[in-house]
Amino acid sequence: MANESVPQSSTARELLATVRDLTHQVRVAQRGTWFPLLVFATITLLAIPVYRYGPYVDLFGTCRSRADQMVCSGENPTQLGYWTVALVLAYAAIAGFYVKRSRRRGVGTPIRPYIVVGVALAILMTAVSILLVFHPLLPVPADPFADPGELEVGPAVLLVNWLASPMAVIGLALLVLAWVERHGALLAYSLGYLATVATLDGRVIHATSRWFFLPHLLVPAAVLLLGAAAFAALRPDRQVQGR
Amino acid sequence: MTDHPANGLDEIVHQRVRLGIMTIAHQARQVEFAFLRTTLQLTAGNLGQHLAVLEKAGLIRIEKGYEGKRTCTWVTLTAAGQAALRAEIAQLKQLIQQVEEGAAATAADP
Repeated sequence: MANESVPQSSTARELLATVRDLTHQVRVAQRGTWFPLLVFATITLLAIPVYRYGPYVDLFGTCRSRADQMVCSGENPTQLGYWTVALVLAYAAIAGFYVKRSRRRGVGTPIRPYIVVGVALAILMTAVSILLVFHPLLPVPADPFADPGELEVGPAVLLVNWLASPMAVIGLALLVLAWVERHGALLAYSLGYLATVATLDGRVIHATSRWFFLPHLLVPAAVLLLGAAAFAALRPDRQVQGR
Repeated sequence: MTDHPANGLDEIVHQRVRLGIMTIAHQARQVEFAFLRTTLQLTAGNLGQHLAVLEKAGLIRIEKGYEGKRTCTWVTLTAAGQAALRAEIAQLKQLIQQVEEGAAATAADP
């Protein structure tokens, strides 16, 4: 029996190694990481003209006027509308890309959880943003025209505000994609991306320029574009694609 | 003797190629004939025979269709196939563990 057991064990090991190898091959063939990153970089760059030229539509009645001054609190509904529509369209495009690619390569895609979570987060972001307009976590000054000065903001407030930001929503959904694709490099990249946008969102920019928002959009867009380029260039599935 | 993990192995699933087909179908949810043939490096006839065995055992479902003008054969693992694959992998792991424990006991007791 002992003599029989040795080859049995070695065969079992070989079979398990084959299972692991085939699983890895399929996962590599299923990955299309560069595309979502490229789509999100594109919609982040397209947000620049919306932020600069999009009118402040006082949808929630948060604006106060005095002489030649107008002060509005809360997120610009135009920007919020842009992000909601752009994110949903982005996930539709990503789903379409994965499904088409799956049919072309002949191997199914596990992308559904990523799309579902991504769209759910986009809707949650919109809901939280609207909720924050009516129930702001930051103290509202009695005189909206006065300089608010330096505000003491606790970590909980920062966290809720951060979760309502489109950049964080993109990053959180990327964590789901990393899990779906069992992609360690994407997991590390997503955590790096989230740390970058958290650092940016935690900074208050005191500026009179109408382009003051640029770092908040250009930095994430650059990180996403670099990620898309890196994952596209280094993807090991090129051989699979060429078959 | 009946407790030995080798006795729990399913003859249909245990065969290397069929285990490969089931592994790929499990990971891919749905896999096309051409992808299986390329990945497993089999001839169409050989792959067809293995698929027929698995389909007859109710472990996979085969659907034929078109992708544009190209005919496609899609393979999906059934619920019984998922269970059989899980059981096979568990048995293989148990077999390795049992052999390793036996070898360690032999080494400790010369």
